[in-house]
Amino acid sequence: MGVDAEPPRRDARRLRVVYALVTLALGASQLWAFAAARDLYPFAAWRQMMAGGDLRTGGSYFMLRGTTVAGAQVDIPAAQLSDALSRNSPGLVAATARNGSFRLRTLHPDNAALLESAGGFERLPRGARLPELLRAWGAIYNERLPPDSPRRLLAVRLDEYRWDGGTYADYQRFIESWRVEL
Amino acid sequence: MASRIIKLPHGADAYTLGVVRAVVHGVFLVSALDTHFSDLGRLPVTLLRPVGAMQLLPWPLYDALLTPRGMLIFKVLLTAALALGALGIWTSVSTKISFVLVLFYQGLLRSLGHFNHDEMIAVYFLGVLAFAPCGDAFSLDSRRQKSVARPAGWVHGYPVLLMQVLLAWAYFSSALLKLRAAGFGYFSPDNLPTLAILHSLDNLHETQHRYAFLLPEYRAYTTAAVAVVFAWELLFPLAIFSKRARPPLLAFGVVFHLASRYLLNVFFPFFLAMYVVFIDWTAVAARLRRLRPRARPKG
Repeated sequence: MGVDAEPPRRDARRLRVVYALVTLALGASQLWAFAAARDLYPFAAWRQMMAGGDLRTGGSYFMLRGTTVAGAQVDIPAAQLSDALSRNSPGLVAATARNGSFRLRTLHPDNAALLESAGGFERLPRGARLPELLRAWGAIYNERLPPDSPRRLLAVRLDEYRWDGGTYADYQRFIESWRVEL
Repeated sequence: MASRIIKLPHGADAYTLGVVRAVVHGVFLVSALDTHFSDLGRLPVTLLRPVGAMQLLPWPLYDALLTPRGMLIFKVLLTAALALGALGIWTSVSTKISFVLVLFYQGLLRSLGHFNHDEMIAVYFLGVLAFAPCGDAFSLDSRRQKSVARPAGWVHGYPVLLMQVLLAWAYFSSALLKLRAAGFGYFSPDNLPTLAILHSLDNLHETQHRYAFLLPEYRAYTTAAVAVVFAWELLFPLAIFSKRARPPLLAFGVVFHLASRYLLNVFFPFFLAMYVVFIDWTAVAARLRRLRPRARPKG
């Protein structure tokens, strides 16, 4: 707080106006997000787990794996590699697989160039930017190990599977795979 | 006076507001210190999908920031602002800077991943604190007499009430939105097992618990479990008004969020930390003072 103390009445009047504005901003944005049932950063509609699970439809998911120098197949903990995104890693991979960064109103110049060279969104391969993501994760993983470690990765692979639903079984129908050599 | 129109929470004074400021800033500070920002800066900027207000910022800014060096500089600024805010130094300025930097950082994370709701409640708390005199007590500013001595009342009580209402609204509106989206189908016995299994199949989540696969065996009970959680969300606003209802509602929240971690691999630690706003810290401090052994007179 400032040392230049305002007279109490003026301070109280100022705070009353500030509180009214903060309440109005938060209240209006919360009501809008609720009515629209939509998140528009930084306005959150509290939609967590909103849709619930539907046994009939199942869902897709991804597994991040690598091949080590010693030839072993290992699971790679993506949430630890970019720990800032720890709880957002599934969202990052799913969005990258569906080329989410090419669906924006204003594209990054590099994405705009790639889109143009591909001849449009429909011709863009699925997960066009996944190799860059896998390479980045592979490099971070290897940097945390000594240069002569047999656990260092030679390649990183992302596998997509689908659980078709209908029954609590058969969770692993293979869909697609992306692989990069490091 | 506002306090005559609105019933302010018991014990919501300068001290309680100061403790809430220290905890909210402290939680973000610990989280930032425990995070490798430079590794985030190694992800390709071409993966970004700026969300909401983040679309207003130009690509060259993201190009410059999303590098190991850029993110390291950002981490230094963010942790410095949060540390000052937590300690209550230059509180009026440091809380505002913390709010802006955290708002930007959380927007950046959501532009890479998905719209995670956990931290958002704490971001709103930072917003309220940025505009409240939260350094009047429990701060280094108040110790150095750099804060204004304000009379107890709505000046400190209203921000506490506002944060309580925000947290209660988050749970209450979440229940209503579930009903709106899924109707009574939300109480289907397969809802919880399916949702939990879907969050337990991949290896990208922060945790890899597999308890979800046990749930289909107990589907006779999952409707009741979902209904209890739904009722708890709807009743959560009682924590604002009723001192008696508050402890069981908060305790259930702790159990619910821990159960979500093990069954769904989904955890909301920021939501849990924000329960701090429902505690009468002045009463806690008074009780701790009574427990402290008095120094025996010498001789």
